[in-house]
Amino acid sequence: MKEGAGLRNEREFPSGKSGQGVGARLPRKEDDRLMRGRGQYVADIRLAGLQDVAFVRSPLAHARIRGIHVPERYRGSVFTAADLGGIKPIRAVSGLPGFKISEQPVLATGKVRQVGELVAMCLAPTRAEAEDIAASVTLDLEELPAVYDMLKAREPGSALVHEHWGDNVFLETNYEVDISVALDAPIKVTREISTARQCMSPLEGRGVVATFDRRLDQLTLHSAAQMPHITRSGLAECLGMEEGQIRVISPDVGGGFGHKGILLPEEVCLSWLAMQRGHPVRWLEDRREHLVASSNCREHHYKITVYADRDGTLRGIDCEATVDSGAYSSYPFSACLEAAQIASILPGPYKMPAYRCRTFSVATNKCPILPYRGVARTGVCFALELMLDLVAAEAGLEPGEVRLRNLVLPEQMPFDNITRKHFDSGDYPEAMRRALAAIDVDSIRAKQRLGEVDGRRIGVGVSIYCEQAAHGTSVYSGWGIPMVPGHEQASARLTPDGGLELRVGVHSHGQGMETTLAQVAHEILGVDVAKIRIILGDTAMTPYSTGTWGSRSMVMAGGAVATACRELGERARRIGAKLLQHDPAAVVLQNGEVRGVNGSVNIQTIAHTWYRRPQDLPADVDPGGLEVTQGYKPVRDSGTFSYAAHAAVVAVDPDVGEVEILDYVIVEDGGVLVNPQVVDGQIYGGLAQGIGTALYEEMPFDASGQPLATTLADYLLPGPTEVPAARLDHMETPSPYTQFGVKGIGEGGAIAPPAAIANAVNDALRPLGVELMQSPITPHRVVEAVLAARATERSAA
Amino acid sequence: MKPAPFAYERPRDLDAALSMLAASGGSAKVIAGGQSLGPMLNLRLVQPELIVDISGLAELKRAEVSRGELVLGALVTHADIEDGRTADVTRGAMRGVAANIAYRAVRNRGTIGGSLSHADPAADWISALAALGARVTLRSLAGARTMAIEAFVVGALESALRAGEIVEAIHVPSRAASAHWGYAKSCRKTGEFAHAIAAVLIDPTAASARVVIGAIDTTPIVVTDAAELFGGRIAGDYKQCFDIRVADALLAKAGIDDAAQRHIHVSVLKRALLEAAA
Amino acid sequence: MTTIALQVNRRAVEISAEPRTSLADFVRDGLDLTGTHLGCEHGVCGACTVLLDGVPARSCITYAVACAGADITTIEGLDEDEVTTELRAAFTREHALQCGYCTPGMLVSARDLVLRLPDADERRIRVGLSGNLCRCTGYVGIVRAVQSVIEARRARNIAPLADGGRTILGPAGSGRATSGQNGPQPATQALAAASDSVAPGAIPDFTPATVLNQRFTLPHAPAKVFAMFDDVAGVASCLPGVSLKAPPTPERVEGAIRVRLGPIAASFEGAARVERDPATFSGRIIGIGTDQRSRSATQGEIRYRLLPLEGGAATAVELSIGYTLSGMLAQVGRPGLVRDLAKRLVAEFAGNLDRHLSGTAPGQATAAELSFWSMISEVLHARLVRMFGRVFTGKDGAE
Repeated sequence: MKEGAGLRNEREFPSGKSGQGVGARLPRKEDDRLMRGRGQYVADIRLAGLQDVAFVRSPLAHARIRGIHVPERYRGSVFTAADLGGIKPIRAVSGLPGFKISEQPVLATGKVRQVGELVAMCLAPTRAEAEDIAASVTLDLEELPAVYDMLKAREPGSALVHEHWGDNVFLETNYEVDISVALDAPIKVTREISTARQCMSPLEGRGVVATFDRRLDQLTLHSAAQMPHITRSGLAECLGMEEGQIRVISPDVGGGFGHKGILLPEEVCLSWLAMQRGHPVRWLEDRREHLVASSNCREHHYKITVYADRDGTLRGIDCEATVDSGAYSSYPFSACLEAAQIASILPGPYKMPAYRCRTFSVATNKCPILPYRGVARTGVCFALELMLDLVAAEAGLEPGEVRLRNLVLPEQMPFDNITRKHFDSGDYPEAMRRALAAIDVDSIRAKQRLGEVDGRRIGVGVSIYCEQAAHGTSVYSGWGIPMVPGHEQASARLTPDGGLELRVGVHSHGQGMETTLAQVAHEILGVDVAKIRIILGDTAMTPYSTGTWGSRSMVMAGGAVATACRELGERARRIGAKLLQHDPAAVVLQNGEVRGVNGSVNIQTIAHTWYRRPQDLPADVDPGGLEVTQGYKPVRDSGTFSYAAHAAVVAVDPDVGEVEILDYVIVEDGGVLVNPQVVDGQIYGGLAQGIGTALYEEMPFDASGQPLATTLADYLLPGPTEVPAARLDHMETPSPYTQFGVKGIGEGGAIAPPAAIANAVNDALRPLGVELMQSPITPHRVVEAVLAARATERSAA
Repeated sequence: MKPAPFAYERPRDLDAALSMLAASGGSAKVIAGGQSLGPMLNLRLVQPELIVDISGLAELKRAEVSRGELVLGALVTHADIEDGRTADVTRGAMRGVAANIAYRAVRNRGTIGGSLSHADPAADWISALAALGARVTLRSLAGARTMAIEAFVVGALESALRAGEIVEAIHVPSRAASAHWGYAKSCRKTGEFAHAIAAVLIDPTAASARVVIGAIDTTPIVVTDAAELFGGRIAGDYKQCFDIRVADALLAKAGIDDAAQRHIHVSVLKRALLEAAA
Repeated sequence: MTTIALQVNRRAVEISAEPRTSLADFVRDGLDLTGTHLGCEHGVCGACTVLLDGVPARSCITYAVACAGADITTIEGLDEDEVTTELRAAFTREHALQCGYCTPGMLVSARDLVLRLPDADERRIRVGLSGNLCRCTGYVGIVRAVQSVIEARRARNIAPLADGGRTILGPAGSGRATSGQNGPQPATQALAAASDSVAPGAIPDFTPATVLNQRFTLPHAPAKVFAMFDDVAGVASCLPGVSLKAPPTPERVEGAIRVRLGPIAASFEGAARVERDPATFSGRIIGIGTDQRSRSATQGEIRYRLLPLEGGAATAVELSIGYTLSGMLAQVGRPGLVRDLAKRLVAEFAGNLDRHLSGTAPGQATAAELSFWSMISEVLHARLVRMFGRVFTGKDGAE
């Protein structure tokens, strides 16, 4: 593997006043506790009287419940739907026309619609004993035909997941911009492309500790959650409680990736149980539960035609996309979060005059799909970028050339594309050119002509995408799901000793926001990062926020922190002016000091005086104080557009099917980077997950809807030898709409790798007549395709 | 994901262990390092009434060379072999195999006897030791018996162990100075179960070869007289003489009806041959 | 409960726990050392890695009782450790952690690499860390951090740990306890008989997930062979591991089938209905059963058709055996293992049936099964239905 010399961007952003502000590669504040085993995750919470819950889950994908038999000695420790009086099912309804509503009972009633669906809740002093009780409960189930194939599920006569719908389609959407003008294009390529169902697999599963405080009349739910305020709203709806009666605390979280962004039936069940029993109760998702019952995403199918001119210019795209949404609509993102977005994001960063896309969100007897890093984009990028390589092959052009011919140009920015997505800024062709240069396509072509000595074939592949992030009200209101993001708030408070406390409603589960938000505050106020505390993950302590999802936290919470700190700084400046006996107009706040012509006073002194020695302040001082909450919204709320060009070189053994990534380059533009090292970490981590999508991760099902990868020996997560040390290059085109020009970048790393790697594999195997259009690319699929191609060649000969 | 309750016994010596097993009437499971049984217990796939922990038995922790063969007690770990804490009569062959079994933390507790007893077709030792011509000694209260590795493994997760019997020792013959060794496996990722294994021990001087194709979801294919794979004779040019059609036919006969799978196995065997000939 | 005495972080502890308590749960729940994390509880992810007698081990699949007398070090015990201190500095410098969940296990494994492999290059470090999964960082910072510590120590001429950190043979953590036991025998759980809940006529038709075909010939006329299929008990008993609850009626049979895949044992209790069509000399037995322990269920179907041979003097018996499995046993990842059992089970069944219908003595192995009033011993092993796998005569149906 080549070393990253010369390409890694180590540039320091100049505004970091003491190397701590925006642009500084600051080591993280949160690291020390995590490296000493002092982090506190949900499973680490200790409460007196805590008891454990294990669930009885459906072993069948689709069945009618005839009976639940609980042994006499365990009555009182086992709870079923019949016990949960007044608890409402989880409903996540989209406002898009035609959306069919599913109701997910928190404990199954009548029917079970997925393997792993909750049927009964068992309580015991320890998890092991709770599992003993769960094992003693017998279910009498009448099996029904399982809906396991989303394409068959669309056909008339299919078994029905929700009988009263009459079909299995949550939602169908259609979008068209005059496709007829593309139909006479000289190049027309049609394929079917699919991506596997995946599990997000953060190393920590979900977990819940619920307790009820009778004095406060308040339920406290500790939950490994990305969006505590949204969890609270959902809980209140299901439990029929006032939101003020519920406090959600999300402590350290062991990775989210979207999996921890939804309201769980387990959260509702445990809340009810804590109130019923009067003592704390706990449920920790184990790996089996994670894989079987609660984390599914990304099963897409595309039937797609791309029209182009002989020179590779795109004339149009026509696509029918189907997404397997699983049995229920998850709160708050709904069952159409992937399919409905496909239509608007499929064109990506490309210009084209004609476009048509029809999408289907299909209900099946599988776990509901949840948002996973890169929501819908990973599949869309896979489909379109594989197709563009086929266009290149038809046109006899280098794949890179076809991209450059069709990418939106920097002089067109800001740009509204064919689906009216508003691109804020950037130079997409430059990213692609840099990636092509760094991966050195010419040298790969030369090597390919020489042939490989070890019997392996090498190939090069590229892909490019755009990542809309920090979607605002205008984007989500049309979609009409239970959560529409509006303004983001942050609270900033100077403490009497001159420290700074920041409260934000987003959460951090690896993103390093305890550090990066402190950098933002430092940039404004000059307070030492070591003296800044970020308080997050607690509805009682933080302003309302929709939480952390959609690569929004740095744009939104960062913007809110900056805004709050500016106001706080203004207050400090005015107090400082009083202390300096200056006209406020004549002093400035700089590097943590209020300065005037005849002296300066630092923030520490200002805070000390304000809180501890108010007698030193004149009577006419503004009583507003040193604690503010401010809201923020970008100048335009249609989202920031970050993007990256990825390029991969692979070696493929056509006889064993192994794929090795020899080199990987990412040229990324995430706007201004608050902490480049943290951004690098997000990209490297995203790449690892993208490699998982490309080569390893797959949750297969059999024809009765049984999930077949139920351990990490079957569901393969990439390890250190499967992920190369990629070479990164940053471009940093500021967004014109956000504080500091930042853009959201959390998901991007996971979007492009499957396409780049598949294109590289196909490039390597194209001389053999092999074309792989399905992820993951497993050894078996490679060898099967190679043998099929050889057989075709033989029969043709 | 917690095991069903079980009782636990830690016998003081081998005889006590065998007595406990005999008394349990088949309801007990033996545990040594627990690297295969542990996950199955946690998943409640296995729910024994009694666990007999033999991991402390000194009699099973020996490693000595006697009469030209290496005798390894069942409790010798993969890491013991990897690190060279045991003598080696295979000129590095066993060390190489041991070092690539699962992960270091697993190798520190996983034992060679446990791996054999579990008889997982995708595990390394059943294939590697069969190619090396090793034998295994089983002991019960009734006494001891010794058999070739290829006779010991009778199917997927199925060994010749009878109720009340445990693996006591593995006997590995010395590898001749003229014998070439090749071992190749294909795993979807480092340390995971192999989906193809090939082990070859070829002695062109003696015109003999043992060839094993493993990880085929059933008993490994052990070819003790492998001349047919090399056009009828074994000589220094075996690499060139390898007949993939014969290997493919062996796999088809073993019930591997998926052509891609067979192709992968044959290709991995080719790799092992290349390594041996290198 | 049993009292377990061992050393944790250089402190002698004695805590009572069940034998089934993993070392991870023992230190987390018993000692509140929550830095040891559980990520998979089946030995793959490495988050629970601790030092056991000084070397890394998986605490999720190591039972505390098996570590009696051993020396355990968790991440909390490495606060002052020299190598770990260097690693922590390197980890934070190289951004080698994000959510931090894998980090304690990662540090324990990294420390071991630093001590054992002073010459490790990037590739060896990656292989050495491959037993620890990280879902956040893409491993870039981790590998750089470990490499930098190894290089710094090499520059300081620090020798590697001799013998990989161990001098004695056998599993790390073993051999330090006095012999003994135990804990009371666990209460065997009484499980409701599933077959009680299978009402007559409630045995539905189904489309088998897997179908196997088999064929053999008998030296009798089809009518005679067909009559032999009347002996439902006899036919059922040819299926290895079957026991019947009561004498079958011509239409219905109730019982259980015990199967085993290595250490995994299951007993499916249920019922089957019997259908016959004298006009075509064909019939089928279609059954449904449940294994309570594993919460798994199976549907199975045996179809047969008799064809005259040699002008009606002999009969070709065409068998088609199909099944579907659901629940935990269906979800065990490695279905390939099942195919091997399938072959043996179906071969055994066809062989037994052949012998039974021929009137010859059954093979020795099947003698016990023919005594169908008693519970069958586990002589013939197979994990039920799904395990029937494909592959037998090459005439498989759809899977």
